[in-house]
Amino acid sequence: MTDPNVQPARAPTDWSNPARQRLIKQRYAAERRFRLAGFFAVALSVLALAVLLVTMVGNGLNGFRQTELSVTFDLPTLTSGASADSLRGASADAAIRSMDLQGIVGLAVEQEYGSDSRDYLTANAPFLLRDMLQDDPDMIARKAKIWLPVASPIDIAYKGRGTAEAEKIAATLKANEKLRSSFNWNFLSASDATDPADVGIWGALKGSLLTLIITLAIAFPVGVFAAIYLEEYAPKNKLTDLIEVSINNLAAVPSIIFGLLGLVVFLTWFQMPRSSSLVGGLTLALMTMPVIVIAGRNAIKAVPPSIREAALGIGASPIQVVFHHVLPLALPGILTGTIIGMARALGETAPLLMIGMVAFISSPPGGFTDAATALPVQIYLWSDEVNRGFVEKTSAAIIILLIFLLGMNALAIYLRNKFETRW
Amino acid sequence: MVKKISVLAFGSLALAACNDPAASGGAGGARQEIRIMGSSTVFPFAKAVAEAFQKGDSNRKNPIVESTGTGGGIEAFCAGIGSQTPDIANASRRIKKSEFETCKKNGVTEIVEIQIGIDGIALGESIKGPGFKLTNAEVYKALAANPFGKPNLTKKWSDVNPALPNIPIAVFGPPKTSGTRDAFAELILEAGCKTDAATKALKETNEDKYKAVCHDIRTDGAYKEQGENDNLIVQKLSANPNMLGVFGYSYMEENSTTVRGVALENVAPNYGAIATGRYPGARPLFIYVKKQHVDKVPGIKEYVAEFVSAGTKGSYLTKLGLIAAPDDVRKKAFDAAANMTIIDGADLK
Repeated sequence: MTDPNVQPARAPTDWSNPARQRLIKQRYAAERRFRLAGFFAVALSVLALAVLLVTMVGNGLNGFRQTELSVTFDLPTLTSGASADSLRGASADAAIRSMDLQGIVGLAVEQEYGSDSRDYLTANAPFLLRDMLQDDPDMIARKAKIWLPVASPIDIAYKGRGTAEAEKIAATLKANEKLRSSFNWNFLSASDATDPADVGIWGALKGSLLTLIITLAIAFPVGVFAAIYLEEYAPKNKLTDLIEVSINNLAAVPSIIFGLLGLVVFLTWFQMPRSSSLVGGLTLALMTMPVIVIAGRNAIKAVPPSIREAALGIGASPIQVVFHHVLPLALPGILTGTIIGMARALGETAPLLMIGMVAFISSPPGGFTDAATALPVQIYLWSDEVNRGFVEKTSAAIIILLIFLLGMNALAIYLRNKFETRW
Repeated sequence: MVKKISVLAFGSLALAACNDPAASGGAGGARQEIRIMGSSTVFPFAKAVAEAFQKGDSNRKNPIVESTGTGGGIEAFCAGIGSQTPDIANASRRIKKSEFETCKKNGVTEIVEIQIGIDGIALGESIKGPGFKLTNAEVYKALAANPFGKPNLTKKWSDVNPALPNIPIAVFGPPKTSGTRDAFAELILEAGCKTDAATKALKETNEDKYKAVCHDIRTDGAYKEQGENDNLIVQKLSANPNMLGVFGYSYMEENSTTVRGVALENVAPNYGAIATGRYPGARPLFIYVKKQHVDKVPGIKEYVAEFVSAGTKGSYLTKLGLIAAPDDVRKKAFDAAANMTIIDGADLK
């Protein structure tokens, strides 16, 4: 009879045995390989991000700078003695319009730089002069030296990427200290234009902002209420299963389909204004909503049942349970889902193509019903341009888009942390 | 918490509603700005005209130009009348009979056709080059991925036609994303492709296959993509006299000291041959105006007038690559723009 408690005798593992040693080595090697694979995966994505950021910033920083040419305006002669008083008061607008500012600018440049210089300045220069005259009517009675932005060929030549011909001009002007580089405020305040030296991002940025406000205002409440209903109230049956499957499928539908839906529903049936940020926002809301519903349901599901039971147990009504307890606890998760959906909406161009937001619009939208474009659309349009001056503007617009995205994420993280600590 | 969110939402709403001095007014009621849709080839010209139109008078609203392609533009244009439909359609071909009929059926009965200029694609070589003379079919056989459906085995021009010089086939050209490349495929390669009766018949039976056979360019290195920069192609040509280049005609004109055109079908690419349409790489560009909108939306007439007057030689549009139409065509365009003469569609195909 053997004692069942006694283990059969077993020799201790012989670690110095070469076969064992090899096995151990193999194990360590496998460990190292695994770590290396992981390291390379991370390194690769960091590298990709670094290359993206370096090229974008490298190309794009120049887009935030503009080259200006010094032009001396002998305004009393050029305007044949217009008085400063005529530029004040009610008739000022008409007085300025009656002046041939385009001719005046062309003449002043020609006088200073010779007959080939008509194209040195951007088409925007006369309008800048107009604004200056409106701000300071007394200027008209004196000789003024004004820095005005140069046209794109000279602009990129000054930045070292132009054609040989333009670089020669830029070098001569630079040697005479007639060119300077300054921060391109115009890029932050203007809209699309044909000359890359005149373009700005504000129109597209405002369009994106208005569109996202509509998207958030529709998709967030609808998504959250749908999630609450499905999790807290809806009976579990075939119908709700079907709804659940549909919502999951909807989240994976290619975005262009939503564009077609928006075209038919909002433009054709409801006759809403084409290209407006209202229609864009509604279309993107359709796309974002399923993402919010799914994230919201998961977040609500993750709230422990004990919270609900405790609240019900001390006499809270179901609505109080939801709004006082479940929702605050689920909100960080819902916000994460919302921000993912909104970030996707921010980067989308395909649905906007169908509803006419991929367009040349040279003024910022004044409201939700005005024709607008959006940041990714603007980037797409500029990247398609033949003119080389648009390369740096495209990268600069991408930088703005990334900053916008970071700002949105930062807001979401702030809100999430705020609500997380409250409870 | 819910309250806080709504406060936040309304705060940002107020922020977004901040007024821009340059912003166009609300779209309540009738539309105030001109709507233009259509060809991506015409898009850069329409943009430039829109800008000039707006700068001409600060009271004018900025026209909105969409680049949807000729077909999409005309479809929307023909969808009916009213503020939801565009006022002007840009087209890189004439409107088709079927499209015109659709227009008519939907109430768009008064259409004004204006040819704004010509789009030209030229095949060029260095002035030190051997002086190529080609036919469309030879270009097609040398550059197609699968000429007439068979793999392309040609290596030298003399493989295509023994009469041609015994030098390797090497052509610089624009990439797939370029409109110039599309036009090159449509105007020159397809013309060469159609010379084979069997391939031409394919168009009726299998249009996709026909397109692939006729438009696909070989990728084995004989055709060298050079990015969207036509200037670069011109520079490369002057350094490589035995190579050819495909680029917009305006670049050839600008660089006449370093490159010259290659005659196709015995027609050399020059201004006259392109303007009259004898050179294969030329196509007319049109805008179509909905006359029924002229009284409803302010500025249409002025916009069209600006477009027509900017279509002359040496204007800002020709700097962007438009080729001015011959004088009689321009005169017709001027008259059509001034009188808003509508077309009856009898000579459409």
